[in-house]
Amino acid sequence: MIEPVWRITWFTIACAAGATLLILPPGVVLAWLLARRKFPGRGLVETFVSLPLVMPPVATGLILLMLLSRRGRVGALLERLGIEVVFTWKAVVLAMAIMGLPLLVRTARAGFEQVNVRYERVAATLGAPPARIFLTISLPLAWPSVLAGAVLAFARALGEFGATIIVAGNIPGATRTLAVAIYGYAETGQDSQAFALLLVSVSIAFVALWTANRLVERSTA
Amino acid sequence: MIDLDIDITQGAFQLSAKVRIEARAAALFGPSGAGKTTILDAIAGLRTPRRGSIAVNGRVLYSSDAGINVPTHQRHVGYVPQDVALFPHMLVRGNLLYGRHPGVSPDLDRVVRMLEIDGLLDRRVTDLSGGERQRVALGRALMSGPSLLLLDEPLAAVDVPLRRRILPYLQRVRDELTVPIVYVSHDREEVDLLADVVVMLEAGRIVSVERLARVELHGPTG
Amino acid sequence: MLHRWLALCVAVLLPAAQGVPLVKPITVSAAVSLTDALTAVAEAYAKTGGTVRFNFAASNVLARQIVSGAPADVFISADEAQMDVVAAAGLVQDGSRVALLRNQLAVAVPNDRPRTFHSIREIAEPAFKRIAIGDPAAVPAGVYAKQYLEKEGLWTAVEPRIVPTGSVRAALAAVESGAADAAIVYRTDVRVALKATVAWIVPADRGPRIVYPAAIVKTTASASEANRFVNFLRSGEAARIFQRFGFATAF
Repeated sequence: MIEPVWRITWFTIACAAGATLLILPPGVVLAWLLARRKFPGRGLVETFVSLPLVMPPVATGLILLMLLSRRGRVGALLERLGIEVVFTWKAVVLAMAIMGLPLLVRTARAGFEQVNVRYERVAATLGAPPARIFLTISLPLAWPSVLAGAVLAFARALGEFGATIIVAGNIPGATRTLAVAIYGYAETGQDSQAFALLLVSVSIAFVALWTANRLVERSTA
Repeated sequence: MIDLDIDITQGAFQLSAKVRIEARAAALFGPSGAGKTTILDAIAGLRTPRRGSIAVNGRVLYSSDAGINVPTHQRHVGYVPQDVALFPHMLVRGNLLYGRHPGVSPDLDRVVRMLEIDGLLDRRVTDLSGGERQRVALGRALMSGPSLLLLDEPLAAVDVPLRRRILPYLQRVRDELTVPIVYVSHDREEVDLLADVVVMLEAGRIVSVERLARVELHGPTG
Repeated sequence: MLHRWLALCVAVLLPAAQGVPLVKPITVSAAVSLTDALTAVAEAYAKTGGTVRFNFAASNVLARQIVSGAPADVFISADEAQMDVVAAAGLVQDGSRVALLRNQLAVAVPNDRPRTFHSIREIAEPAFKRIAIGDPAAVPAGVYAKQYLEKEGLWTAVEPRIVPTGSVRAALAAVESGAADAAIVYRTDVRVALKATVAWIVPADRGPRIVYPAAIVKTTASASEANRFVNFLRSGEAARIFQRFGFATAF
């Protein structure tokens, strides 16, 4: 079964967008907490969130596989609930989410740190509890960085390969993303097809990054 | 009425202040670095002392012995920082209404008229003059219905002719609303015009507490 | 607000979830080099009423997945070593392991400097300054290449000129780009190469025994279907398809 390019592209974009949306709420909240609050275990949280950024993606994929497959702790539980993750699109989204999260958190955190803390303090004196300060002061003032972080996470998700192929496999019609398809074509000597998909991949990432930069520029104009 | 008994350490700086303030307007006066803003921050809950207690109108906001430390957003203090810090992503109206609590807050019209900022409600914060920003910040603090107003050098960033124009607003706030004011200043003239009580600070210590003779108004005006 | 967010996520992910068929096909983890051949075989198999879905990757990745409990029903490996890994983990269905395909090594050279060897000794000529092979420490094709050269007594002479690559395709790419003067790859690889030609095909009796084994994974939930597919792989019809793609059969 030969998959048309548009189907692979559509699948990849859907997974990457879904993964980015999923990590946005927890990622942004986490970024704010790391920027503004001291809490026990903060250093550990910081380190864990950054790990996927520096580990070889294959290693991340192997860890996910060990946890989620039938023999893994989480996987055994999922099996009893009848939920399959390994070798399905869910694993693709999960791998993309994990690889994108550190980029989102680091970029958003820098944005929050640039918001003058005086605004947040004044808001507190005006009676706003931390959640309200986050939603009405910190987030609106840092949104360009949050957006930039989301776009980076999306672009990273589009290009994700190492972890995805391990935990989601290369299953044409079910888990084959652009990156994985490129690998497949390259490994079977079909360089022109590989190149065509590569162009599609780069174009999408280019448009996403370019759009985000324009938006950020406009907001700070 | 404020009951203060606190020790604060920040790096090499040590502050030790014990005082009871009973006044409509009290000034914390002294050279820069004396610790005036530090005390303001402590009352607002933006800084936690090493030990001690803070009580406003009989309500304990902080007590190291009793393990009480009321979070800032529950202290009902209005705070106008030295750099004013109006929210740049909101219009003047949004800033004024940010801290509004129905039932507790004064009427917006009354505050706006008293501070003469009625024409500014739909303006952007960046379009305001220095004096207008001060008044809006004051209005924002008042609109949260505080039981205490804290002003950090309210006239420092303002040039002399403007000062003369803003001072009456502060006097109005002092006289027409029943909210006590604590403000930081290093300008003696301003202190004399506004304060009932002057707390002199130097190098982290209270040097003197002075009650100024004042002509009392007979009943509220306006 | 949270409800709307979740609804948005579901809406975005809907296209992703559409690749889920109603009748569950068996999952066949197969070496990526077999992609085109197996896809064609699957089309023929579909006419008999069976459906499979493939998971194509490097054999060591596939073995790792199976050992970790990933839900594959059949495993087709590019070398015996990776099948041994799965067997050692007790995951090969008893008696199901069969030799499926054979391949041969070949020497590839850039097509703007074509050569035809009369003997493999010609590879030791000084003209071949860089010889690319898959890394003999990790890549099956590289292991085979080294075995062959050692057997022919050429390894010590050529070793300083060997360039190990991360995969056998990378070795071929090196020759196609001119970065290497020759490469030892699979015969099936050179077949599809645009800028490389065959200088030498290693004879079956001199070269290493390259076998692609197939086996049913013990933990399969579709044993009978898996069996049916493996049997089809060893049918005359499948053999003809494999040969079309340059693979010799081992049955």
